[in-house]
Amino acid sequence: MLKLKLEALEHPAPGSVDVNDRKVFASTILWLEDQKIRQYKIEDREDLRKVDELEIWEQAYENYKYDLSMPQFVTPLEEITWLLGYAIRLEFLDAPESYKDINSIEVSKQQNKSIAPSIKAENFFDNMDFNHKDFITGVRALATKLKIPQHPNHLILLEAVARVVHERLSPSAKNRQAITGTPFPFEKGNDVVSDDSALDYPVRILRLLQIQSLRELQTKINETIVAVQDLTANPKTDTKLGKVGR
Amino acid sequence: MVVRPYNEELKYLEKISDCCWRIKKEFQPNMKVEGCFYVNSRLERLMLEELKNSCRPGAVGGFLPGVKQIANVAALPGIVGRSIGLPDIHSGYGFAIGNMAAFDMLDPTSIVSPGGVGFDINCGVRLLRTNLFEKDVQPVKEQLAQSLFDHIPVGVGSKGIIPMNAHDMEEALEMGMDWSLREGYVWAEDKEHCEEYGRMLNADPSKVSLRAKKRGLPQLGTLGAGNHYAEIQIVDEIYDKWSASKMGIEEKGQVCVMIHSGSRGFGHQVATDALVQMEKAMKRDQIETNDRQLACARINSQEGQDYLKAMAAAANFAWVNRSSMTFLTRQAFAKMFNTTPDDLDMHVIYDVSHNIAKVENHIVNGKEKQLLVHRKGSTRAFPPHHPLIPVDYQLTGQPVLVGGTMGTCSYVLTGTEKGMHETFGSTCHGAGRALSRAKSRRNLDYKDVLEKLDEMGIAIRVASPKLVMEEAPESYKDVTDVVDTCHMAGISKKCIKLRPIAVIKG
Repeated sequence: MLKLKLEALEHPAPGSVDVNDRKVFASTILWLEDQKIRQYKIEDREDLRKVDELEIWEQAYENYKYDLSMPQFVTPLEEITWLLGYAIRLEFLDAPESYKDINSIEVSKQQNKSIAPSIKAENFFDNMDFNHKDFITGVRALATKLKIPQHPNHLILLEAVARVVHERLSPSAKNRQAITGTPFPFEKGNDVVSDDSALDYPVRILRLLQIQSLRELQTKINETIVAVQDLTANPKTDTKLGKVGR
Repeated sequence: MVVRPYNEELKYLEKISDCCWRIKKEFQPNMKVEGCFYVNSRLERLMLEELKNSCRPGAVGGFLPGVKQIANVAALPGIVGRSIGLPDIHSGYGFAIGNMAAFDMLDPTSIVSPGGVGFDINCGVRLLRTNLFEKDVQPVKEQLAQSLFDHIPVGVGSKGIIPMNAHDMEEALEMGMDWSLREGYVWAEDKEHCEEYGRMLNADPSKVSLRAKKRGLPQLGTLGAGNHYAEIQIVDEIYDKWSASKMGIEEKGQVCVMIHSGSRGFGHQVATDALVQMEKAMKRDQIETNDRQLACARINSQEGQDYLKAMAAAANFAWVNRSSMTFLTRQAFAKMFNTTPDDLDMHVIYDVSHNIAKVENHIVNGKEKQLLVHRKGSTRAFPPHHPLIPVDYQLTGQPVLVGGTMGTCSYVLTGTEKGMHETFGSTCHGAGRALSRAKSRRNLDYKDVLEKLDEMGIAIRVASPKLVMEEAPESYKDVTDVVDTCHMAGISKKCIKLRPIAVIKG
């Protein structure tokens, strides 16, 4: 923490300040007063400068603490921590405007950026402008060709196009056999939707679509379980253990 | 307890519809909400007779009548809605069997009660279908019954044939059906068609006493005694063809296997241990109840949480138990018909729990609330499109498996919207006892009971024939009355009727 604060104040050697070495401590205090705090006029700092004559310096430091109204602390670490905080506050108050953009959200964004591996934009689509008028016209033309109703948002329209292509036109879909069986009379379920047919009909269709995607998810889950079972399953029975009760 | 003449008692009861009665708040002291129970005319007579008998001067001992028990539950702290008695209700320890009650999770005084779950934690029913028909099974039913009997140990003190050590047991308690899946005893699709997907996630085996674990270890994969059974059943009637076809039941005559079992001695020990802890908690938190058997603790207290975690472990035990028996049943059928369980299409239709407490969201007075729902001798029956039911039953509503008694039929119902509103998505669980076990032993002869089953063409294998009269159909209410009442009240819908051709039991 001490190092961070020293860094923030642009101390020349933030990593090598040993607060228990009285001489280092004294010169750090002097650096703070000279560069940041400036409590005294330059000529009044004479005694604080005498870091080689610690007796004089200690006396000056006592006065200095009193003049800054520093609270009573026990260890030099506590004292320097307070002083650093004070100095940082002064720095901030000199130009609060310039710090207003720095907040936790922005900072974490910055940090994430540096952590995340930089991906080279090799994908052709990464550089594409999805709002270019040519792109929009293209999507609309595609939709017309596939007989998909237009939607004001061309990106949503694109999703619909993708879905139709995936489910109807992809190679796997083309080779799929037509589903045989009794068609489901979806207007007759055990469920109640609404008396209003204009509401009832679309809600039932949406529910069926939802069930279809849930079924796909569940099937994937089951396939995963079966794949794991291939590795772990080893059912055993031992009829010798069995015992019929009373 | 307040003792009043029967005529006085009746003033607090009011019939509000063809099959529903209201219990007014003054019936028992401190009732926070009203009570209600669902009965048709025949069950109504049984219910009121029980109350009348308890009003006779000098009537002491035994359990309180069911109506009183419903009312005492309505006096527990934190209860919301109503204390509800289902048509198969009969007196039990604290809560009547067939009583459901929900408690507000946000109310700090709300309680959880082991008496509201029962001693056989996560006792439940599982139904397997096959692609066989009656004509395939009828000639070999004796051999099949024997084969099932050889595979699934039954009776008091029986031991299972699936080798387990203490470490396996710890894992099974935590993982529930996922353990059975990992070890390869069941199919992935079985988990999909099981209430809670066969695993309660809050299970904590460290909250379970060593004694319970010791009792449970050798019992995994055993059916147990009492009313537990495994039956080979035939589809006798299809009321809702479309819902039945969603369950893979296409025609009358199709063969199914029903397994009714629970958590054996393990769950019993968990409940017993919890009751001791709760008595202390009640004293400390000054919880007052009308009946000493209604021992409970605040949901948020240490005792309450410990019980819920141990109960979840017992629930997982029961699912592993039913899963193990599913495995053994498939083995028995595959051997008999010289094929594989896959080729016999032996899928789990569903697996329900009828002794359990679960956290669920319900709409109470127009607002969504998180509740701790106790179902004791009551089955969850969620309506179509409820997110907690399997995707295959989203359109039909949750299948509800209602086991009959030895020699009588069983039913499959489906959950409804009305049930969701009226009974927190709950319905009946079985026939419900009409005579006490002791009374059945006095009034019936086991030889007559066995003969009668033989006359009906039902093969039976039983570990202790001298106890079969306890489970004779005469000792129970008529399951058809029970199911018809639920159907009439609209709290669930009839779908399939099944009749047994072979029974194995303890």
